Amino acid sequence: MIEVESLTKRYGTTTAISDVSFTVQKGEVVGFLGPNGAGKSTTMRVIAGSLGASHGHARVAGFDVAENPRAVQAILGYSPEVPPVYTNMNVRDYVRFAATLKGVESVNKAADHAMERVGLLGIQNKIIDHLSKGQRQRVGLAQALVHDPKVLVLDEPTSGLDPAQRVEIRELIRELAAGDRTVILSTHVLGEIEAICSRVIIINRGRIVAQDQLDHLSGVGRVVRVEVARPGEGLAKALEAIPSVIGVELHDGSYTVRADTDVREAVASVAAPFGLHEMVGRERLEDIYLRLISSGGAA
Amino acid sequence: MKAIFAIARRELGGYFSSVIGWIVLVAFTTLSGLFFSLMIGSLALQPPMGTDNQNVTEMIVQNLFSNLSVIALLVMPAVTMGIIAADRRERSVELLLTSPVTSTQIVLGKFLGSLAYAVAMVATTFYVPATLFSLGTPDSGVFYATYGGFVVLMAVFVAIGMFASSLSDNQLIALVVAFGINLMLWILGWAASLPGEGALKATLEHIALLNHFEQLSKGVVHTNDAVYFVSVIVFFLFVTTQRVEALRWR
Repeated sequence: MIEVESLTKRYGTTTAISDVSFTVQKGEVVGFLGPNGAGKSTTMRVIAGSLGASHGHARVAGFDVAENPRAVQAILGYSPEVPPVYTNMNVRDYVRFAATLKGVESVNKAADHAMERVGLLGIQNKIIDHLSKGQRQRVGLAQALVHDPKVLVLDEPTSGLDPAQRVEIRELIRELAAGDRTVILSTHVLGEIEAICSRVIIINRGRIVAQDQLDHLSGVGRVVRVEVARPGEGLAKALEAIPSVIGVELHDGSYTVRADTDVREAVASVAAPFGLHEMVGRERLEDIYLRLISSGGAA
Repeated sequence: MKAIFAIARRELGGYFSSVIGWIVLVAFTTLSGLFFSLMIGSLALQPPMGTDNQNVTEMIVQNLFSNLSVIALLVMPAVTMGIIAADRRERSVELLLTSPVTSTQIVLGKFLGSLAYAVAMVATTFYVPATLFSLGTPDSGVFYATYGGFVVLMAVFVAIGMFASSLSDNQLIALVVAFGINLMLWILGWAASLPGEGALKATLEHIALLNHFEQLSKGVVHTNDAVYFVSVIVFFLFVTTQRVEALRWR
């Protein structure tokens, strides 16, 4: 549904993104992860057609964004990090305005539907300037949804929200992703990616450092962390002796076992005599992320 | 077409929900009222110049609007400074840029919306024909020509202001640039009125904005005035469209 091909964007002498390539299948929910200034927003803006690339192509549903932006924008909803609102309009007028711009046939119906989805019906007559940050964020989402797009590009949809609002928006995104809608979203909150996305793309300093299925990336079964009551040399040796284990590391009293195959069962039985307290059969996304970002290299 | 009107309506609504929109409207009405009463007053003090109703109307209306054209020249940059710059500062421009509308539609919509506001400014002078008609039977043709000409002049100011507003996300820069262009077009008129002959004088006369307006307000529509106004408006709308298109490539 989305094909990004060696995308590069330079601002003067600084390079925001360099040779970024990935594809997103129809119906997939992909998380875009990276530190501030890594190039997430730049990439998303190129896909949404509000920014041209210096090199490379972005295609949505077969249309090249640079050559045929209108065709792409008709089926794509984009919610930038800062909601693109007119603060002196009321919510309803704004969403209706967005619906008209996006070429929706029955503007009122589409606006009602979008406001209902993001929970704005109760405050539809409020002036946007008087809304809280979370409410504004939802107005931004309503704008992106109003034409029922096949593709959603959401740039930090939960930034600035309190935990309850976060959960709300997260649920909403999960609902939106049901069916065959394609979603690409960026966030700083790793838990969000784990909760919503099936695949993750990690970008650092303008380059993609990893892109894989979440399960695969976190090495389900292949990276096992165990905590035992009585740690010791014996346990490390025993773990290393398990076939297909590549290495064992000790950190703050917990062992991390890396292997080529699923070794959860073997690790459990080896660790049991040492008083197994806790075992996690995958690497935490946070650890993967920090490892990739700090190494700065490609995975 | 729908998108253009939606953008125009949004733009017009923006003026009436902003403080500056109302301030300008009130200031323009007050100033025009002041000029009008001064003119009527000074006319009353003068000895009668004959019974020709026609000339009195023309004198008052043309004089008033030639003053108002200078006021508009000074005030319009403040009206138009935010047309694009504020959208960029507030990031709302992103809604326009990521909707399936062209840069031309965006520019035309914003132009028409702002022009509608300018027409509202002009409409606040309705008391001028109302007063004059209640005092006598003036030739309505004078009003058509003057008002028509003035709206065209406003369209020029809007086009220039919009271009200035498209240069950056800074409204102050837009204000200064629009003011500068307007002032230049005005001052060229003074230069053109210096004694002498020659190609330079003819060129200056052609570029000077208010000279063309004066012709139009007399009810004389020369082809060259029409061409002048149309080409100035089209030129500035065109370069503004290029600026908006360039926003997508920044």
